[in-house]
Amino acid sequence: MRRIGVFVCWCGSNIAGTVDVEKVREAVKDMPGVVHSVDYQYMCSEVGQNYLKDAIKEKNLDRIVVASCSPRMHEATFRKAAESAGLNPYLVEIANIREHCSWVHKDKEVGTEKAISLTKAAIAKATLNEELVSGTTQVEKRALVIGGGIAGIQTALDIADAGYLVDIVEQTPSIGGKMAQIDKTFPTLDCSACILTPKMVDAAAHPNITLYTYSEIESVNGFVGNFNVAIKKKPRYVDMDKCTGCGVCIEKCPSKKGKSEFEEGLATRTAIYTPFAQSVPKVPVIDKEQCLKFKTGKCGICSAVCGTKAVKFDQEEEIVNQTYGAIVLATGFDLIKLDNFGEFHNEHPDVITGLEFERLTNAAGPTKGKFVKPSNGERPKKVVFVQCVGSRDKSERGKSYCSKICCMYTAKHAMLIKDKYPDTEVYVFYIDVRTPGKNFDEFHRRAVEEYGVHYIKGMVGKVMPEGEKLMVQAIDSLSGTPLEIDADMVVLASATQAKPDAVALKRKLNISSDLNNFFTEAHPKLKPVETASAGIYLAGACQGPKDIPETVAQASAAAAKAIILLSKKELTNNACVSNVNKNICSGCKACSKMCPYDAISIKMMDIYEHGKVIRKEVAEVNEALCQGCGGCTVSCRPGAIDLRGFTNKQIMAEVDAICL
Amino acid sequence: MGKIEMILNAKEDFKLGKIQMILGWKKEDESIESIPAFIESVEELEELIYDEYCVNNLSKYLIEEAKNGKKVGIFLKKCDALGMEQMIKDNRILSENIVPYQVECSGMKDFQTGEIFKKCQKCLDESQDKYAEVKEIENMTHDERYDYWMGELSKCIRCNACRNICPACNCETCVFEKKDEDILGKANNESETGFYQIIRAYHVAGRCSDCGECERICPVGIPLGKINKKIIKDIEELYGKEDDDTLSSFNLEDDDTFTEKKGGK
Repeated sequence: MRRIGVFVCWCGSNIAGTVDVEKVREAVKDMPGVVHSVDYQYMCSEVGQNYLKDAIKEKNLDRIVVASCSPRMHEATFRKAAESAGLNPYLVEIANIREHCSWVHKDKEVGTEKAISLTKAAIAKATLNEELVSGTTQVEKRALVIGGGIAGIQTALDIADAGYLVDIVEQTPSIGGKMAQIDKTFPTLDCSACILTPKMVDAAAHPNITLYTYSEIESVNGFVGNFNVAIKKKPRYVDMDKCTGCGVCIEKCPSKKGKSEFEEGLATRTAIYTPFAQSVPKVPVIDKEQCLKFKTGKCGICSAVCGTKAVKFDQEEEIVNQTYGAIVLATGFDLIKLDNFGEFHNEHPDVITGLEFERLTNAAGPTKGKFVKPSNGERPKKVVFVQCVGSRDKSERGKSYCSKICCMYTAKHAMLIKDKYPDTEVYVFYIDVRTPGKNFDEFHRRAVEEYGVHYIKGMVGKVMPEGEKLMVQAIDSLSGTPLEIDADMVVLASATQAKPDAVALKRKLNISSDLNNFFTEAHPKLKPVETASAGIYLAGACQGPKDIPETVAQASAAAAKAIILLSKKELTNNACVSNVNKNICSGCKACSKMCPYDAISIKMMDIYEHGKVIRKEVAEVNEALCQGCGGCTVSCRPGAIDLRGFTNKQIMAEVDAICL
Repeated sequence: MGKIEMILNAKEDFKLGKIQMILGWKKEDESIESIPAFIESVEELEELIYDEYCVNNLSKYLIEEAKNGKKVGIFLKKCDALGMEQMIKDNRILSENIVPYQVECSGMKDFQTGEIFKKCQKCLDESQDKYAEVKEIENMTHDERYDYWMGELSKCIRCNACRNICPACNCETCVFEKKDEDILGKANNESETGFYQIIRAYHVAGRCSDCGECERICPVGIPLGKINKKIIKDIEELYGKEDDDTLSSFNLEDDDTFTEKKGGK
């Protein structure tokens, strides 16, 4: 007979408010095997844990059931307490009577009844619990950072400075990301490139950092400490080792009509190109769609003028396989497409987005920093900014969330115009001005008070091109007055959104994302940079809208988490892994086909059965790879596979305890 | 009927030593019933027959007979061949140990009544809607459906015939025979019988070759084929036909677009 101790937690009023904890204790105290039962306000407190430890020693308990909050929260706490009292930690079973019970019930009677059921099930399972021992695995001392924007660069630099190897995988030909496109940063108005480019160069020059630009993640397998990643290097058609970055090929390329992605389509670029002057690496790529050599076979000027013979038209896609201990996701964000916002006439050259504005005021941009209308090159005299275009918009076409950065960058844009051309009239239409952050509100007030930017509460209903003007129709919602402004230029603060390939990436990595496809953190308060998958961390706007200071702070936080992981000598494996009863296994391979972690293989083995030796194929579990998901156990028809800690027998016992 | 040349071929292969055993049919005791024959010697070869009473699917015997590298010749009708293919997919038999002789079939007859089996009629009549019976049940209300199946399943005597004859039910040890887990008791009670039938249906789901043997063999006449057919139809509609391992594979691209239907009673 077991000697089971049951500990029912009140969790203050979190549980006790909806569950009659004494009644729960009363209901289970005479169940077979239960020799000790208490209820206490806070089982997770030191006093509560001591109750548990003392009872183990005094009453000689061999199984523990704690009816409390989710095992995600405190299973480790109680397992540790039991271990310190000399009990194998896996002999502790948690009944979740908070998240699964009190928090979802209003009626105390019903809540109590369910709590009793859950506790009985836990006791039935605990009766069958067995001592489990975890194995260990080595940690690969190398980190992967996906995304080469400011978040990825900062993370990589921090991890590299701690002495570990880091690889950055970036989709585009150069690292730098969105920050490289920005002119000035709020709230200090310092030059974005001036603070970013040194970091880009540092990353490229760091002996511990390897850059994979123009590359994508092909697949991710493995587990924390040992992720096996295949990186697809897209062909640049330029040999990175030979190219000196002299730029003659770019100068001589006759195909000059490609739209520059970096300049947001406001300028053209050649078929062989680097995205921008400070690109890192400074090795160009060939746009196959645009290149005459690829299209007609009759060009190859770049190859002819290249002094080091670096142009390689026959270059092919390359797959690099690498093992990593930790992965940091820093894939950033995009702005939404404005196709469904016809009322703003976004297709008009003088109706631009915030990011296009950044390029138009940038000294390195298509106008050399001269702020002019894209339509005719004249200086605009009246500029209207529209905020929340698609943000805080619950309709189909928009995003329900606040994009967070637009209030600040619009104030910045307004100030930049006023700074250069004080006679320009600037209007900002807003729903709310949201400027929490260090020196943020002061920044916005400066725009209003010192620069005289007209802030008008209200949304713009329509922008109508009329001759050379853009008629902006709006309502000042504070006074109720309809307004019409004959603007020269309209700047739309379009909403931010997750990258289009975020869903594909999340599936490769086995992590989760929210309704808007931003990656989800493991806990919004206590684990803000971790994902629910061990060893995978988040940095920057791939998790949700963020400004640069926040992004950098989170990037360093993610780096710190990765460093902690990489600094470990070995990792303790999950003890709750699958186990094959080789006598029963038919070798049908169903489990190995189903296993998401490739943890099961089929081997020819000698099986001893009733004094006979039978040679047959059976499944074998790699305990280091097994994540204990249990998929194999339900795919096994003869029931030859069991998950340790969650055996078929234990689950049946739980079901019986609830039903009978 | 009587594909004499197939039998001659098999006999030839056996004499040449290409196969060490033939799985076929024979007659016994002057009955018109054809029963499985396990031919291992030249003298027995003459017993081989093939007529309209050879309904037994011989493929399941391969698990035992084709072990240890023994080459086995086997006569297969169209439906039997599908079952064997499934067993090869399940890694229960190695195809290199098997020499199949596919025989033509124009429907098998019940030796007791002399009528063509229902399953064979369905197979031969291609004009029939193969899901007609499933649709009938789908059109019932939840309660009607529950009553229908409880009525049918309550007849089950758990004789295991449906399991033993099924080529997809090919585990070495059946989950119902695991002594230590008490999945089913011995007493005949309704809930456990239902449990047995649900597990049987789900264990062959996605792997059933629709040979109809389970229904034919059932001594109490439970229309088991309808359950299998329903699952086949659902898989076809939800996932399409092309994937073999629909229900036992892990795919990141899988959609979770299931609609939840409330059951009856």
